[in-house]
Amino acid sequence: MVKREERRMRYAVRALGWATKIFWIFIIAFLATSVYSAMNVKMGFGEPQLFLSSGFVVISVPLSVNNSGLYDLSELNVTVDVMDYNGSLVLTSTTFVPLIPRGSSVETAHNASMSLDDILSKAQIYLFNDTIFNVGMSMKLKFAHAIPLQISMNKTIPWGAPLYDFSVGQISYDYHNITHQRVTIPLSFENHSPYFGVDGTMRVEMYNDRSEVIASGTSSLNVPSHSKYEDQVELIVDVLKLTPSGEMHFYFETSLLSFGPLVMPYG
Amino acid sequence: MVEKGNTKLFVRKILPKVFKAAFLAVITYLPMYFLSSLISPIKPFFPWYEPVTNIFAAVFIFFLVVGVLFSGTVFQYVFGVARTLVLMIFFICVLNGGIITLTVPTEGASVNIILDVTVVLAILVLICLLGIAKNVIQAIDFMSSKTEKEEL
Repeated sequence: MVKREERRMRYAVRALGWATKIFWIFIIAFLATSVYSAMNVKMGFGEPQLFLSSGFVVISVPLSVNNSGLYDLSELNVTVDVMDYNGSLVLTSTTFVPLIPRGSSVETAHNASMSLDDILSKAQIYLFNDTIFNVGMSMKLKFAHAIPLQISMNKTIPWGAPLYDFSVGQISYDYHNITHQRVTIPLSFENHSPYFGVDGTMRVEMYNDRSEVIASGTSSLNVPSHSKYEDQVELIVDVLKLTPSGEMHFYFETSLLSFGPLVMPYG
Repeated sequence: MVEKGNTKLFVRKILPKVFKAAFLAVITYLPMYFLSSLISPIKPFFPWYEPVTNIFAAVFIFFLVVGVLFSGTVFQYVFGVARTLVLMIFFICVLNGGIITLTVPTEGASVNIILDVTVVLAILVLICLLGIAKNVIQAIDFMSSKTEKEEL
């Protein structure tokens, strides 16, 4: 009876010994092949690029995955979040690739787009002030259907305001005729945007202190990137309607954006 | 006469154990040494790895040597359990509980890598638990055999 018990124990010990050995062989083989496979997976984010297309700001992040390893890559999930200087979310976008089988490669560009009008409606500050966008990129995937991997990075992209330091100079009033005066409005701004020029028209409407439109005029704009605009707009105003103070409304119509009114007081 | 008997006992019983222990210690240290030199290019990202590994290797080898020296007694299995426990704790520590994080500084940004090796850790812990169970059963078997012999 005791011997039988002893024999049973020895079987159990032997079984546990074999189970341990089998598990060790399995885990060592899996780890060795995983390291080999991981070394044969080439993946990378390219340099984020920002460009404009049909009124949309597009942030394009080139992404390439070459899986020449022994295991499949699954549930590839690429997410891009763009936040502005105060941390509020400007846009978010996701690309999902369900499976990258072993021996294949994927080359794609993860595009995150947002309407420029939308950007302007959300934050006019981008038009007149330089800022920095924080771009957060993350890539998640499952290696060999068992090991989740996450790669993330943060990058800052400077935003140059296309109408930086828009200002109205000293307004001058000249005699035009007995009923009208010529009002000269000096205007200046700098196009700090490295991505696009400001080409189009700028319309000015002059209001008196009774909120009546007393004059309007248009000026053409052709301001390339990193250049300064300095010009003046001349308006003919009825002297009877002209008041010492009031408002000027500026409307911008360019190939890429429509914006207005920008209200500035005078007097 | 007594001295001669002691020397014989030492040469016959203890010396082979010492050699075996030394041999096993070297054999155990070799993979750790090679693994350490294999990962040397990525060592700057894991500065904590080498000290932790060295401490655990020393403790593991200590229990291994002591276990061999005490072979033929129940302490062999006690030290076997201790050794396997050390190995299990080592895996949990070195794999950071299954979540390995790494920060690689690049130009103007830093890349954060998070690797979830919970499955691998679970298998390693399972192997260690099997090892502990084996040692415990062997200890029980040893004690029961010993009792039986004493009774006879």
